[in-house]
Amino acid sequence: MALGRSRRRTQKFVPPKLQLTSMMDMFTILLIFLLISFSSEVVRMKIDGNIQLPKSTAKQDYRNNIRLVVAQDSLWLGDEAVAKIKDGTVVGLDPANLQRSALYRKLSACRQKAGKATENKTAEDNVILFICDKRLSFKTINSIIKTAGIAGFPNFQFGVLEQ
Amino acid sequence: MLGAKRGRSRSVDDPDLDLVPIMNMFLVLIPFLLISASFFHLKAINTSVPVLGNADGSVAPGNTVKLTVIVQLEERGIRLSAMSDEADASILGDFDAYFPKGRASAYPLDEVATFLQGIKDRYPSSDTLIIIPDGGVIYDTIIRTMDVARTGTRTELFPNVVISGKVG
Repeated sequence: MALGRSRRRTQKFVPPKLQLTSMMDMFTILLIFLLISFSSEVVRMKIDGNIQLPKSTAKQDYRNNIRLVVAQDSLWLGDEAVAKIKDGTVVGLDPANLQRSALYRKLSACRQKAGKATENKTAEDNVILFICDKRLSFKTINSIIKTAGIAGFPNFQFGVLEQ
Repeated sequence: MLGAKRGRSRSVDDPDLDLVPIMNMFLVLIPFLLISASFFHLKAINTSVPVLGNADGSVAPGNTVKLTVIVQLEERGIRLSAMSDEADASILGDFDAYFPKGRASAYPLDEVATFLQGIKDRYPSSDTLIIIPDGGVIYDTIIRTMDVARTGTRTELFPNVVISGKVG
């Protein structure tokens, strides 16, 4: 018994070797994947509900200006919810009187702000990035883009997914 | 000779690579790349809505007739027409066409692309196309029509795409 104990005590401690090779492999794969999907401009969107963007052959990059997001059930200006959409109609947006809507007021405020800073801006800077669910009908979209046009934003960039 | 012998007799140990600094670098790089990774590649199509303004009466130098093509997306098909201040009504009448929906109730965009290519071949200065969708046409269809109008089958067709609601 005693002999056994003394044998154990005399064993030399060997520090365990970490096997990092497999971890390195994993990290390398991860790094390559992330490098491919690296983007210098990341758009963060706060959207209520799921949105499906249309796919397009467009190759042009977007300008991250004023963002108008139209989901199935809500309308967002930047990160702020502006109106609800019910049965394909924007609540509070009367097609006969677009100037009385909250969207018009907010876009006009944006236009005035942009107007103050026009010295360093080009016409391209006053373009709205329009991100819209592909399932929505033109009836819904039309009143929104008309309102934007009246508020001083006749030029748009339609946000699409790369095909 | 002796030196060579000595070299051969040395036991060859596996060299232990020190991977810890590389691991450290990876641990810094991966969170950074994760933050700036985008999993949806967003692209943009330039368009505009018609606005009231003074008409530009200037004509391009040389005999370059510019047509503006109108694409009406109707519930049952696509209606095409053209307008221009520089062309006769008889010429413009040649570009009136109607493409009904196919069996799978899909819009015949390939046929439209071929037709638009024909217009572009005859009047290469033309660069504007107006899309007028009906209320029930979905956004996805409008985007696909825009793609056809801009890129066509062979060359760039109409880079200026304007979207408009029906008047009246």
